[in-house]
Amino acid sequence: MNAPTDQRQLSARDMKAILGVTRALAAPFDLMTMLNEVVNAAKQVLDADRGSVWLYDAAADELVLEVATGIRPVRVPAGVGLVGACARKRQIINVPDCYADPRFDPGVDRSSGYRTRCMLTLPLVDHKDVLVGVMQVLNKSGGVFDVDDEVLAAALAAQCAVALQRVRMTEALLEGERMRQELEMARVVQMSTLPAVMPSLPGYDLFGTFRPAELTGGDTFDLAMQDQGLLVVLGDATGHGIAPALSVTQMQAMLRIAFRLGADLETAFMQVNNQLADTLPSDRFITAFIGLLDPSTHRMRFHSGGQGPILHFQAASGTCAHYKPTSFPLGAMRLSSLRPALTLEMHPGDILLVLSDGIYEYQDPAADEFGQQRVEEVVRAHHRKPVAELSTILLESVHAFGRGAPQGDDMTVVLVKRKAAATVHRTFRRRIDSIQEIFEFTAATFAREHVDARLLPSVDLTVEELFTNMVKYSPSSSAEVRIDMTRIEGGVEVTLTDYDVEPFDVTRSPDVDVNLPIELRKPGGLGLHLIRRLVDSVAYEYSTENRQSRITFRMTDAGPPAADGGADTGGANARD
Amino acid sequence: MRDRRPQTAERIQGERMLAIDFGPDGVVVIAGRLDAAQSPSAQAFLDRVEGTVTLDCSRLEYVSSAGLGVLLKTQKRLLATAGRLRLSGVNRHLQDIFIYSGFDQIFEIEPAR
Repeated sequence: MNAPTDQRQLSARDMKAILGVTRALAAPFDLMTMLNEVVNAAKQVLDADRGSVWLYDAAADELVLEVATGIRPVRVPAGVGLVGACARKRQIINVPDCYADPRFDPGVDRSSGYRTRCMLTLPLVDHKDVLVGVMQVLNKSGGVFDVDDEVLAAALAAQCAVALQRVRMTEALLEGERMRQELEMARVVQMSTLPAVMPSLPGYDLFGTFRPAELTGGDTFDLAMQDQGLLVVLGDATGHGIAPALSVTQMQAMLRIAFRLGADLETAFMQVNNQLADTLPSDRFITAFIGLLDPSTHRMRFHSGGQGPILHFQAASGTCAHYKPTSFPLGAMRLSSLRPALTLEMHPGDILLVLSDGIYEYQDPAADEFGQQRVEEVVRAHHRKPVAELSTILLESVHAFGRGAPQGDDMTVVLVKRKAAATVHRTFRRRIDSIQEIFEFTAATFAREHVDARLLPSVDLTVEELFTNMVKYSPSSSAEVRIDMTRIEGGVEVTLTDYDVEPFDVTRSPDVDVNLPIELRKPGGLGLHLIRRLVDSVAYEYSTENRQSRITFRMTDAGPPAADGGADTGGANARD
Repeated sequence: MRDRRPQTAERIQGERMLAIDFGPDGVVVIAGRLDAAQSPSAQAFLDRVEGTVTLDCSRLEYVSSAGLGVLLKTQKRLLATAGRLRLSGVNRHLQDIFIYSGFDQIFEIEPAR
């Protein structure tokens, strides 16, 4: 009964029949059609009256007979009955007289009124040796199934198994694709809640981006002009994927509505927190930064529920201040009071960086994290660039750091930069006569940048003294002297750059005694003496690499620091 | 007083140059900017004055250390012959510069009204 299938040759006629079936089975049928095709092929090739195909459900270890679409399928555990035994042993079972075999269940015949005489049961095993199902053919026309039929059936079964498996896998792929398309829709909906275009705020450069680890993610951000000021939001719900995506999207929408209805920062924070606390599942919460920037005072007031660190790059010092959260994550528990909001002041060139922990905690293959220090390094190196570019550089740095390690968490970047005033510069020939052009340049810059004109004579004097020093002390250099001017709060910052010179720090030259009797007075050194009394600050830098001297001074209506006092008569402290 | 030396004022109007000349009543009128580039011409003029000289600074917009040097050299020379240089019509900014450089101790300075 257990035919040694490879010991017999297929006849040319049989071969032709199988090839015909194979061709028919190659068509892209759905599963039900394919099952019918397989049964019809078997009936035809084996000259049988009826046939059926049971599919193997590996998860349940059962065999399933799809009777017809819409009717509940018949299920048989593997190992039970002829079908189950065939599946378990993966061998053909040829029963010439069913009613004489104890494994045969006559109940089926009783309910259908059909009389099963003989039956060939064969396993459907695909080319990868995976059990696909079991095929049964009944009642050989004019006799019983013989050994030749077994050989033929085995060859046919192999073809049918591959065809069925192909259809099943295709259907699984299609199901996966449907899921993927639904997630893609969810992604589109989530992304549509994010600002499509960054709001335009004069004097500011704004950028936000969200890079989910999966199709949807648990981060959100917002940048939007409201009556209360510029709203800046970053939210990060626990986990990533569709569930936290729903939570953060809900939070973002509630915040928008709260501010649209005129809520202040505290009210919005507390009410949204309390709503989330009431409705979020108890194991879920959202860390969130919520800030309002007043563009007229350049003050940003914010609350941070568990979201940190918050970095404030300060252009004046080139360093980052960092802030910790002001409260616990949103939705963790109801709030009845709130600590005061934190306030930070955005000076020209300053950047607020609110980044989700997917950036700080991005791991390289050795499980080292990107970390706050690397973020700060990137900002220090690229703070002058537009923030969209800074964001790209930051994300590229994170990926480069990861050296191919997959993104483990959602990454969101929100950048708010107060634009630095435009720096204007010109170069001047190294000769005293250039100071006329220099004065034209300073006056034009003052006019264009609306710098307080009362500062102009002092700025001119300082520039002239520094410039004439450069002309006098480095006459051998043929390079032009560059002057950069930048408007700063209440005044101006000026840098003179002298190329191809020896180092000479004029700021360290000794002060002159202005109280000497006239016969002992000499004009030399007065320039530096005056500069020290006029400027807010002056600094000298030398770069040995390109032999470059740079002197930068700042002059504002605030005046020089009190120690060198603007009202200082010079006479009072120079002698003592 | 300003209207008595209109030609001098007009010559420097809108220019970043220096003009120095005798006014009608014997004062020396200086107008414009006394910077490093203009100092030699101011020096050349002041080298020729004698005795007690009033320098009318009411149209002087600007002075740098190079200009202070010119004034100092002139004062030293005049003092040696019992003369001196008086500075009149000195604006606020120039006053600061003169005070910071100790020139208030070696010049008679009359502020602008």
